[in-house]
Amino acid sequence: MSDADKSGLTRRGFLKTGALVAATPLLVEVPFAAAQSTAKNVTKVHDFQTSADVAKAEQEGEVVYYGHDSEQGIAILLEAFRKDFPKIKTSYVRLQTGALYAKITAERSAGRFGVDVLQLSDISPAIDFQKKGGWEQYMSPEYAAYKPEYQSTPAGYFGVPGVGFSGIAYNRGKVKPEQAPKTWKDINNPAFKDGISVKLATSGMQHAQWYILRKMFGNDFWQEFAKQRPKGFDARAQLFDRLAKGEDRVCALAEYAGYTLYQEKGAEIEFVAPPEGMPAIAIYVGVVNKAPHPEAAKLFVDWALSKRGQAVYQNQKILLYGSLRPDAGPMPTGKKLADFKLLFPTDMNDYVASHPIFVKEWNSIMGL
Amino acid sequence: MELDHGLVSDTRTSVRGVWGALGAPHFSQSPRLVSVLVGGLAAVLVLYPIAYLVQASLSVGDPQARPPEAYGLDNFIGLGRYAHIFGNTLLVAAIATVFAVIFGFTMGWILSRTNVPGRAAFEQLMALPYYVTPLMGALAWALIASPNSGFVNQIWRALGGEGYVVDINTPGGIAWVMALFEGSVAFVMIGAVMKSMDPAMEEASQVLGAGRVRTMLRITLPLVLPGVLGAAVFVFAEMLGSFSAALVLGLPARFYVVTTAMYQMVSQYPPRFPTAAAMGVSLFAVMFAMVWLYRRIVSAGTYVTITGKAFRPRVMDVGGLRWPFLGVCVAYLAVAVILPVLTITYASFQHLNSAIPRASNFTLANYKTALSLDAVGSALGNSLLLGLATASIGVLLMGFLSWLIYRSRLPGAGLIEYLLMFPQAVPRLVFAFGMLWAWLIFPIPIYGTLWLLLIAYLTVFLPLGLRTISGVILQIDRSLEESAQMCGATWGYRLRTVTMPLLKPGLIAAWLLLFIASVRELGASILLMGPKAKVITPAIVESWFSASTELTAAMAALQTLAVVAALVLLFAVARRAVQHGGE
Repeated sequence: MSDADKSGLTRRGFLKTGALVAATPLLVEVPFAAAQSTAKNVTKVHDFQTSADVAKAEQEGEVVYYGHDSEQGIAILLEAFRKDFPKIKTSYVRLQTGALYAKITAERSAGRFGVDVLQLSDISPAIDFQKKGGWEQYMSPEYAAYKPEYQSTPAGYFGVPGVGFSGIAYNRGKVKPEQAPKTWKDINNPAFKDGISVKLATSGMQHAQWYILRKMFGNDFWQEFAKQRPKGFDARAQLFDRLAKGEDRVCALAEYAGYTLYQEKGAEIEFVAPPEGMPAIAIYVGVVNKAPHPEAAKLFVDWALSKRGQAVYQNQKILLYGSLRPDAGPMPTGKKLADFKLLFPTDMNDYVASHPIFVKEWNSIMGL
Repeated sequence: MELDHGLVSDTRTSVRGVWGALGAPHFSQSPRLVSVLVGGLAAVLVLYPIAYLVQASLSVGDPQARPPEAYGLDNFIGLGRYAHIFGNTLLVAAIATVFAVIFGFTMGWILSRTNVPGRAAFEQLMALPYYVTPLMGALAWALIASPNSGFVNQIWRALGGEGYVVDINTPGGIAWVMALFEGSVAFVMIGAVMKSMDPAMEEASQVLGAGRVRTMLRITLPLVLPGVLGAAVFVFAEMLGSFSAALVLGLPARFYVVTTAMYQMVSQYPPRFPTAAAMGVSLFAVMFAMVWLYRRIVSAGTYVTITGKAFRPRVMDVGGLRWPFLGVCVAYLAVAVILPVLTITYASFQHLNSAIPRASNFTLANYKTALSLDAVGSALGNSLLLGLATASIGVLLMGFLSWLIYRSRLPGAGLIEYLLMFPQAVPRLVFAFGMLWAWLIFPIPIYGTLWLLLIAYLTVFLPLGLRTISGVILQIDRSLEESAQMCGATWGYRLRTVTMPLLKPGLIAAWLLLFIASVRELGASILLMGPKAKVITPAIVESWFSASTELTAAMAALQTLAVVAALVLLFAVARRAVQHGGE
């Protein structure tokens, strides 16, 4: 029996807490007391709280991070941590979530435990990793600042250091103002045929959009979309690169973070926040079980979830994840996460179960 | 390959007779043992990960379960629905191979056999397309010839044209880029063979009244056929596994090949390893057919051009054709090197790339960012170090294996060739999963270190080294070694004083190819890199995915600059060493 099984984790249990239902109001108070009951020796470092033994973490001298963000994004994140803790070196492996998860599970199944901190961009592997006993249950004192739905069930396995969301974007030079998309249904405007882009089935954000709009408009919506002969790409940079150059006229999965980067470069693009709301997904970070540098790993997770770490996640434009902390300031664009109407999957069980259907349908839409 | 004619054949027969009379074995125990060990080691390097791949391809339970929960053929049966992807793959691989062999043969012949002006300089420059990584080449051609934003089309519209004049996002465009940047190996392979060719036969043809073109088609071409076929087989297999061009140029056209489809399968959650592995394993059949074809062709004729008779490679005077040939060389270098490098360099200094220059659009920020990343610091150093190690060890290993396969008469040598071609048949990204699973459980802790990457490179580049060197080996008459043997030379002495010097052009070409191939390796490195053992190309690809074309261009430009600088330095040191040795 895995550690997770021992802890009584079930998918239903996870769902009962309504994990990641950001659109729903806060129903219960943050279980800080519970967190405190298991936390040991909470200390304050810089301006955040940690249960890690900081001296020991510095003695360990290293934290090995596996993540999904861009090379540049991870470098900035780890550099910020290293600046706060110069005695702790950082190293990392960067892969897309699917390949990253395959790598870490293959390593662990072979008895190799070289990772301290794991960050994933999809809930499905995060839950699977929990089931396999991959996360170390560590009650970060910083969880106190997060609603319970932004934590694993039971708490302590992983937290949510940020949220990404997507609207629609178009090239101003290629789309006339009267044709500009305003609602989600406009992505099926025949005028955009052969000129519209989305992400491939590798993307967690694409899964969320497919799931939410399917719930909203029915499955015919995506069948209609298939007639547009959309072009699929792996990452947002490719989508915005093509949009900015006019190779595509409309991007149907325009991540806000990507938009701000290209807008800053002077690209002639426009972002549309449809009135129905924007599909959003969270990212997940936690301490890995049997980490070679456990105290440094805990310190990193505390830092990442703290206001200090969140400033990096949220304010660095290459990352630009909205913070779920109530005390987080605005994003560099001047807006807070609460300023946007975000749509999260509300039934995580159904959402996770829909993934194979999504992959099959989306591959077909992409011509794969 | 058997010799069946003339004096050379007679000499060999007499050598055999003498040895037979003396009762000496053809192959003494010591080299046999070494051969078995080296051949066995190479076979293990290849088969060990292959076994895991085959196992994965037969997995029909949970696709993530290791080892598999159940076995069956469902993954192979289900491949039928990807028939269009296999069709796309064969189409672009075939077109690209034809392009690459035509380029390689034409350039090889012009530069090796004719008195085209600036021949020596062009010969050096011809290696340049191989320095340009396929990703950089694909990005460059996307910038040059994309239908809307391609520089050519932008200029066309600025001059009053409408629509576009070129579109690189087509099967022909993909094959063009693949041939230019992944098929440039054909020139090195064919060129090495041409350099080793005795011109006496061409001269005899011309003396007997045949024209230059007829001599080229009737004498030169048949003589270099093993090299051309070897290059064609190799390039075709390389194209089957080609990734970057299809990724950059195919996705915008919804055009998938096997590698880009596999990439999607293993990148998504849950990764569909069994289907991807089944796709990879099914490519073995294609590779086997190609190796079988190659062996059949080379065993059906004689291609020996280096015999005991002394010769100096000479070039033909092609008269007035020198200038059109010069134009061909310049045009090739323009499309394969000058245009892509200039385009990438230009884009790397822009915020948002555009053919029309604007002062406000120029920046050094991309270089500043690139230099701040680990990928352009330690990773580039690691890549160069691995390139040196792979090339140096690889030339020795692969040279020996080539000799073993074509010269040793060791039982089962032919089988070794089939085994060693395996890595060429499977896209490296998929092969890397086999290596990941295989080396993870290996008791010696090399996982996550540069040692594992070295082993991986030596494994995946076995076909490259083997093909390059064996093309030259096939041209060396066996009687030269046998003569040395007759004179009492030991096996090692023969190898050192006869075989190796004759193989020198092939070995140098192989070293260069292995060095560059290692530095630009992508597929195997992505998964096998550890947090402290990183190399540069995956970081560049990743940058294209998640940063911007302009930053990617800056990183690619820095990589190319570093490779060229390293090679210039290496050649300078080697030249100085040779000069000192001569003194």
